Amino acid sequence: MTNPIIALLGNPNVGKTSLFNRITKLHQKVGNYPGITVEKREGTLKSGNKTYTIVDLPGTYTLFPTSLDEEIVFNTLADKSNKFYPDLVVVVAEPNNLTRSIILYQQARELGLQAIFVINMIDEVAAKGLDIDYNKLESYLQCHVYTTDARNGKGIKELIRAFDDRPGTYTGGFNIGSDYATIMEEAKGLFPLLTEYQTWQFVAQDKISFLSKELNDAILALRAKHQLTASNLQKHEVVRRHKTVDKNTEAIISKIENKHLTKTNVIDKYLLHPVFGYIVFFLILFFTFQLVFTLSTPIMDWIDENFSALIAYTSTVLPDGPISDLITQGLLAGIGGIVIFIPQIAILFLLVSLMEETGYMSRVVFLMDRWLRPYGLNGKSVIPLISGIGCAVPAIMSARNIENTKERLLTMLVTPFMTCAARLPIYIVLIGLVIPDETFMGIGLQGLVLTLLYVLGVVAALVSAWGLNLVIKSEHKSFLIFELPSYKTPDWKNVITNIWDKTSSFIFGAGKIILAMSVILWVLGSFGPNDKFSEAQKYVQQANPILEGAHLEEKIASFKLEHSFLGYIGMGIEPLVEPLGYDWKMGIGLVSSFAAREVFVATMATVYSLGENVDIEDEGQRETLLSRMRSEINRNTGLPAYNLASGVSLLLFYAFAMQCMSTIATVKRETGSWKWTIFQTVMMTGVAYIFAFIAYQTLK
Amino acid sequence: MQESFRLDILKVGEVATIRTIDEAVVPSKFFELGLLPGTTVEIKHKAPFSGPIGLHIHNSNTLVAIRKSEAIHIFVSK
Repeated sequence: MTNPIIALLGNPNVGKTSLFNRITKLHQKVGNYPGITVEKREGTLKSGNKTYTIVDLPGTYTLFPTSLDEEIVFNTLADKSNKFYPDLVVVVAEPNNLTRSIILYQQARELGLQAIFVINMIDEVAAKGLDIDYNKLESYLQCHVYTTDARNGKGIKELIRAFDDRPGTYTGGFNIGSDYATIMEEAKGLFPLLTEYQTWQFVAQDKISFLSKELNDAILALRAKHQLTASNLQKHEVVRRHKTVDKNTEAIISKIENKHLTKTNVIDKYLLHPVFGYIVFFLILFFTFQLVFTLSTPIMDWIDENFSALIAYTSTVLPDGPISDLITQGLLAGIGGIVIFIPQIAILFLLVSLMEETGYMSRVVFLMDRWLRPYGLNGKSVIPLISGIGCAVPAIMSARNIENTKERLLTMLVTPFMTCAARLPIYIVLIGLVIPDETFMGIGLQGLVLTLLYVLGVVAALVSAWGLNLVIKSEHKSFLIFELPSYKTPDWKNVITNIWDKTSSFIFGAGKIILAMSVILWVLGSFGPNDKFSEAQKYVQQANPILEGAHLEEKIASFKLEHSFLGYIGMGIEPLVEPLGYDWKMGIGLVSSFAAREVFVATMATVYSLGENVDIEDEGQRETLLSRMRSEINRNTGLPAYNLASGVSLLLFYAFAMQCMSTIATVKRETGSWKWTIFQTVMMTGVAYIFAFIAYQTLK
Repeated sequence: MQESFRLDILKVGEVATIRTIDEAVVPSKFFELGLLPGTTVEIKHKAPFSGPIGLHIHNSNTLVAIRKSEAIHIFVSK
């Protein structure tokens, strides 16, 4: 027998996730719902001799979806053949706003689900100035009402014991009203097996993904015949329910002054102030990035050092040969390239989830909406755009809570322009190579260029959003409504699970690709298609009979690379990248970093050190690479390969180009369309090519 | 019946009751969040340059933000 499925259902900001973490004691996994990338939080709970599957549904106000997340809720609860169709729904409420939660509860019960009602954050009842008559509430809801406080664990045990509750049949509820009697009568013909409310729900839904196209079309035709829209029916139900529930709960819940909101009001006076609000926001933004970089630098240095030491140690332990090279230069170097990003991603998501947990993130939306609207974006786009500074993959995923399809699409299309953490190593290496370490009016030039590149990312995102906004047609009118929740101290469990979810999705998602590419690159660089690779020494000695010693070794190494698979690929694309000022070795870097930008630095290290004995213990790996790159000559121009013109061109190329397979994969999943995914990649790489071309041709 | 006017012209600190909402333009999500005819709201915040408007919904004790573009379709009276 399968485990009973318990689904947590509730409005946003009711502490549902905290409750989920408490119940499952973090025995949970975050996956995706099949086919779409709405995060699916699923956990298990063993209680007595029973095991329950706990599903944390996305937060929603009613069962009428306006976003992908909310659609999941409806699909799970209304489709009996859904894999997660629950045996019991736990409706989570917070004391401040019981009406909205009761409406959700009633909708679930009337759909035929078994449900119990939980008032979470119960410790705030007094602070929120409320008095609840539980006996009356229980008889009104026709189920047991439980009270919990997920932050300190109060009431959790009692709630878990209630997982075997099945409150039975639900009577009464929504009275559809005579205005819709005829449409309902006709709809019954379409759904002969359903109850009246189930039929009503189906008729009032925009589109039901689990029903056949014929049925959807039939519903559409039915509404058209009666000159009704889904929105008409939904509003009718919502207004009616609000009125009834408000009236019915008057005697159950009594309100005095809400002390909590008063405190929030005082804080908001400053944080939403037309002037101070923005100052505070930009200070927070500034400190966030300062923290991300200053806190992560020592950790990254530490990882870097230890990985280098590990690689050096491994190569002394293993016997010389291709296996040792594969492990050290392919595998370990690849893992090092993944691990190095963990501190930055973890710290960024620490700060982002703190903003979400405290309730500040909605204030950011409030402050920023006006400034993003002209570009066809939405205040909610701030979150993906800011997260894009960490990594575009989670950032694009965070665009899900934007209701408007067009604004969501625009946000996803432009977010990868933001300077992600993976661009940073390339920027640092290239800036170190081509920008002089001098000060200009007291400002370090290298730092200035780095800042400008970050600004460029923001400008590129906004300008392209503005352009795309003019081209892409909208299906729905843009709107924005969101709650500004009262400020809370963060629940550390939520913060920590969130950091873990995001970091692990990077390690196992993007990391996989980075590792695979490192190994593939090593193979491509270590083998060649003909005897020019295997017999390199013979060829070189024939051509240069007077060379010997170190010079001969170097010549052989570069000859080998030139005739490896990697070399042939690089030379193949050379005509394409030559106008940008790159030679075939840089071409190899571009090709390999199509998988992920950060691979560029690793590739350049491989390209320039293949066949060489890099003594890591003797010198820092980075310095070796930098000096090696400095001495590199572009054989087409005879100039240093990394001069100002080619360096700036390369910087611009990486600033714009879609060099990230993980992002492409994410965009495909999130948009569900290859058209937009390919469009985005072509657009970004096209823009990159044009800018790099202009920069090189004017600077050279 | 008192004279009703657009919600967006209220100043911060003013209290009013929603009379009618133009259902043809305002999405049902507004209703779900408690912006219904008969509800009393107080303007708490206004973002500069016609930015979002922060409303305190009295009977549900919540703070909700909407854009001016929808606020002009919500009619209130004091």
